[in-house]
Amino acid sequence: MVSVTIKNLTKTYGTTVAVKDLNLKIKDGEFFIFLGPSGCGKTTTLLCIAGLIKPDKGDLWLGNELVTSAERDIYVTPQKREVAMVFQDYAIYPHMTVFKNIAFPLEVRGEDKHEIVERVTTTAKLLGISQLLDRKPRQLSGGQRQRVALGRAIVRKPKVFLLDEPLANLDAKLRVKTRTELKKLQLELDVTTIYVTHDQVEAMTMADRIMVQKDGIAEQIGTPHELYNHPANLFVAGFIGSPEMNFTDCTLIKEGKRLWLDAKEFKILMPVEVVPKLKSYVGEDLIMGIRPEDLYERESIKEGTQKNAFRITVDVIEPVGPYLLLHLRKGCLSLVARVKHTRARIGQEVSIEMDRSKIHIFDKKTTKAIL
Amino acid sequence: MRIPKLRRVTLYILLVFLAFLFLLPLWTNITTSFKTLKDVTYTTPIEPPLTPTTEPLITAFNIMQRPLLNSLTFTVASTILSCLLGSINGYILTKIRFKGSNIVFLFFTIGIFIPYQAILVPLVLTISKLGLYNHVGGLILTHTAYGIPITTLLFRNFYALIPDSVIMAAKTDGAGTWTIYRRIVLPLSLLPFVVAGVFQFTSIWNDFLFGVALARGPWSMPASVALANLKGTTTVMWNLLMAGTLWYALPVLVIYLVLAKYLMRGFMAGAVKG
Repeated sequence: MVSVTIKNLTKTYGTTVAVKDLNLKIKDGEFFIFLGPSGCGKTTTLLCIAGLIKPDKGDLWLGNELVTSAERDIYVTPQKREVAMVFQDYAIYPHMTVFKNIAFPLEVRGEDKHEIVERVTTTAKLLGISQLLDRKPRQLSGGQRQRVALGRAIVRKPKVFLLDEPLANLDAKLRVKTRTELKKLQLELDVTTIYVTHDQVEAMTMADRIMVQKDGIAEQIGTPHELYNHPANLFVAGFIGSPEMNFTDCTLIKEGKRLWLDAKEFKILMPVEVVPKLKSYVGEDLIMGIRPEDLYERESIKEGTQKNAFRITVDVIEPVGPYLLLHLRKGCLSLVARVKHTRARIGQEVSIEMDRSKIHIFDKKTTKAIL
Repeated sequence: MRIPKLRRVTLYILLVFLAFLFLLPLWTNITTSFKTLKDVTYTTPIEPPLTPTTEPLITAFNIMQRPLLNSLTFTVASTILSCLLGSINGYILTKIRFKGSNIVFLFFTIGIFIPYQAILVPLVLTISKLGLYNHVGGLILTHTAYGIPITTLLFRNFYALIPDSVIMAAKTDGAGTWTIYRRIVLPLSLLPFVVAGVFQFTSIWNDFLFGVALARGPWSMPASVALANLKGTTTVMWNLLMAGTLWYALPVLVIYLVLAKYLMRGFMAGAVKG
């Protein structure tokens, strides 16, 4: 069990920048997730940690050992790193039985025969695949193959555990089940784990901390709570959360000591405590964001009387089960609200109130969060 | 699809006729092998022998015995060596990849297109400088070298189908380049070995040019050359020649019959992405 430290990591393929100047410290025993859309450089980063590709620039430490340094020409081969990896397609050796697959890393290391049998058996039991040990991979289902790949990774007790979209090829039901099991397994084994996914729900439910990556750049690093409640920029705000956060262009208008947020179709009086933060942005082009669950349907209000509510037409109602999604439209403004129940019908106007403490404001030019 | 009865009968008649046509040379080959020289003159090739005899077969075997052994030795050795080297090349070219590996591969493929005749003189000189003229070793070396381009191509195309992640997984599991080849790549290579093996075996076995250029002595002469010599200088003894041909064709025939089912699969492999 070690920490993983990445300094100024850069990797380019031709003219495409896969990872750009990445700095990161992953703590001992942490469950860390690289999250981002495909092609954002998360797998490249993982392969650099595994030693399977050499970065163009930057240093990489596993614990206190410098394993990669482009500048100092240090490169420890993947064989010598105490790192295990699970691949998206599982990469099981097709000609070997399940037993042989799991035993492979131990056999290659020249472990004692009895020790190998014992450890493979224990690992198989832990993953619930004891009855499959004599089978060949082609006789296994996707979920079982995934377990074999996991078994092969954990059997050698690695210091760092790398997982590249391990659940992507499973069906939805199995994915949710395996998610929980994987989280439990990680707590049990207490191994530093780096996990790559493009699925924000997976990331939010499993991670201790998440790094959101886009075009090779780390957009934000933080706990799921931080990412959800305090997104650093427009991309993170939009990427995390489902249904996604509502965005609309707006400006700030000063009125005495108070600030009004003007989004054309509605006006909101901002709370006093945020005024100091926003003062300098009066008149600038801004984008406001509000999550669907921070919009509430209210008893009818009169237009203009409320300072944090407005009237808007219901476009579509989507019953999801535990809640409803109201798709709202007024002029060119469209919003989604998540509500428990509604009396509104499609085409009707409803009153919507927003939780003003949950409003996010972003600079339109830099896309950085202001509030 | 159901074929109407009449059409099916017609189809079968046509197919049997064609099969008969294709097998006719083999039939005349066999009948002539069992004929005395007198029968050869008095009967048509299609007719069975009047007084069947095994003498031509025995005589041909006695003459061909040593050349057949020579051929078998260098054919088996060159087939194994060229396949093994082609396999290693294919592995390195697809899974290790180094700077300029594409250019190296290009040179390999150019090797396929160089006609034998173009290099014959330098080849004979090189082999005799090496002291391998009139020696089975010279043929092993030549056929191995000449086989490498085509086997490399075959194995490279097959190994391109093995996912890179399998190799990467083996690396993180602690396996080095050679261990990965021995324990992962080689056990997965049965199919290309059969395809390349059959291809190499038949083309090396059937080769005449290198044999006649490099090994004419009795201890190294290939069966193909010995067969040509059976013809004689003034009169052609057809029964002896046909008997020799039968002996000569036997090993290739056996190989085909044994490996036919793998071969069919091998030719199909890679046609459809799995």
